[in-house]
Amino acid sequence: MTHLHERRDTLIKLEGVHAERGDQLVLRDIDAEIKDVVRPDVADQGQVVGVLGPSGAGKTTLLRLLAGLDAPSRGRVLIGDALQPARAGMVGVVFQHYPLFEHRSVLGNLVVAARRGGAATADARARALLERFGLGDRAGAWPGELSGGQRQRVAILQQLLCGHTYLVMDEPFSGLDPLNKQHACELIAEVSMMHERNTIVIVTHDIREAVKVSDTLWLIGRDRAASGEPVPGSHIVETYNLIERDLAWQPGIERTPAFETFVREVEDRFRSL
Amino acid sequence: MVMPNTIFQQVTDALRPNRRIARPIHVGYAVASAAVFGAAWSLSSGAVPSPAGVAAALARLWTEHGLFDALAASFVLNAQAIAWTTAIALGLAYLTVVPAVRPLAAAISKLRFTGLVGWAFVFTLWARDGHQLKLWMLVFGMAPFFVTAMTAVVAELPRERFDHARTLGLTEWRVVWEVVIRGTADQALEALRQNAAMGWMALTMVEGLVRSEGGIGALMLNENKHLDLDGVFALIAVVLAVGIAQDAALGWLRRAACPHVQRSKP
Repeated sequence: MTHLHERRDTLIKLEGVHAERGDQLVLRDIDAEIKDVVRPDVADQGQVVGVLGPSGAGKTTLLRLLAGLDAPSRGRVLIGDALQPARAGMVGVVFQHYPLFEHRSVLGNLVVAARRGGAATADARARALLERFGLGDRAGAWPGELSGGQRQRVAILQQLLCGHTYLVMDEPFSGLDPLNKQHACELIAEVSMMHERNTIVIVTHDIREAVKVSDTLWLIGRDRAASGEPVPGSHIVETYNLIERDLAWQPGIERTPAFETFVREVEDRFRSL
Repeated sequence: MVMPNTIFQQVTDALRPNRRIARPIHVGYAVASAAVFGAAWSLSSGAVPSPAGVAAALARLWTEHGLFDALAASFVLNAQAIAWTTAIALGLAYLTVVPAVRPLAAAISKLRFTGLVGWAFVFTLWARDGHQLKLWMLVFGMAPFFVTAMTAVVAELPRERFDHARTLGLTEWRVVWEVVIRGTADQALEALRQNAAMGWMALTMVEGLVRSEGGIGALMLNENKHLDLDGVFALIAVVLAVGIAQDAALGWLRRAACPHVQRSKP
């Protein structure tokens, strides 16, 4: 049964986005929107969009555009209720290797971020979030002492404490064992459901995990000419609405035949790119 | 890698590449090396002064030639030179985040090829007194190496670290503070350690060139002039001991200031 839901306000919008690296066209004609998904029976249903694509398709370039770290060579990336042009600091980014300030303790890393929302309460808010996400006993640890999974959690919490509603994550499942991948999926789902407007964009090539956690999938890649040669510039070749396919927001969905069938469908399309 | 069980295995493993050995075996090899060195030194005749001769010369230099005062003068001079070098080099290296400063940093880095002796006359014209002259020469000798090391550290910082700080909404100068200055403090202190060691090498040369205030370099040159090899070796031993102590102190400072380096996973 498809969950009751409605897609309302546009939160992130890409309008005719092109991106070039030197004289190479990396992305072209990207037009997409992420809208606020509202469920009558769920108080804070955030949005999770998975961006899939083969290596070299421009996923990281798209991430940097969404984060406002780079500007598109053409078109616009608009963020937030007021749909303002993206600039650094408007969108949280969890990079692939989870960079943290190595010279600061875990708590220190979080407090730096939390000060943006008020210095007086920064420490208390950081400690509260550490407790909530099971890292209370690691407050005094150095980032170098954390496991990969813990480091990922701290990196996400740092961005949340910064007050970011919009979060892009670069390869959040890379290098994690199956159990930690599951934990990462649960963490992403939990973060997305902390606030109605929370919107997470996951850039990955891990199809199964992306399908497990997303409500929408964008598949990016290059078209092929009649000769079989790839046409320069990736774009969104498919958008999958996982809510309509009854694959979103369902714990244990990965154990259903429908999930396997869909993953195969995406894999087949992936291979054609 | 699993550590071998028997002592014999560990002793033989210490002679093979890329092996891990227990600390007692490591200490054993250090003691054995020192014993071999001591024996070779005691048995050598003529070319190298005997340990007893060096000890006697040390006592003579201490009581008759003011070794303590000379050492103190050298230590103060070296400490001042290190402080100036650190301030100039770190300031310049950190400022390479400003593109306009990079050519200046690159030019100063190239000065490491010019050597010290040729500049002595130029500095003589500018300096107020002998102390200042020696100080400038030392700073001039050390700073280009320090600048080179630290500009490379700053240049090699991954873009991801800057971007990460920016996504937290930090201003660009705050990004510089967190990523460049605080983020590389351990490497700066390590570079300082290496340059401080280099300072003792340059110091004896500079004090030999400019003899005002004395200093251990001037003392060493005097002993050399009188062909007193015992005295020269005694002074080398003193510089070595002070240098090792200074290195240990800077190592402690680095561990105290940057505890995350010691406690991070390998």
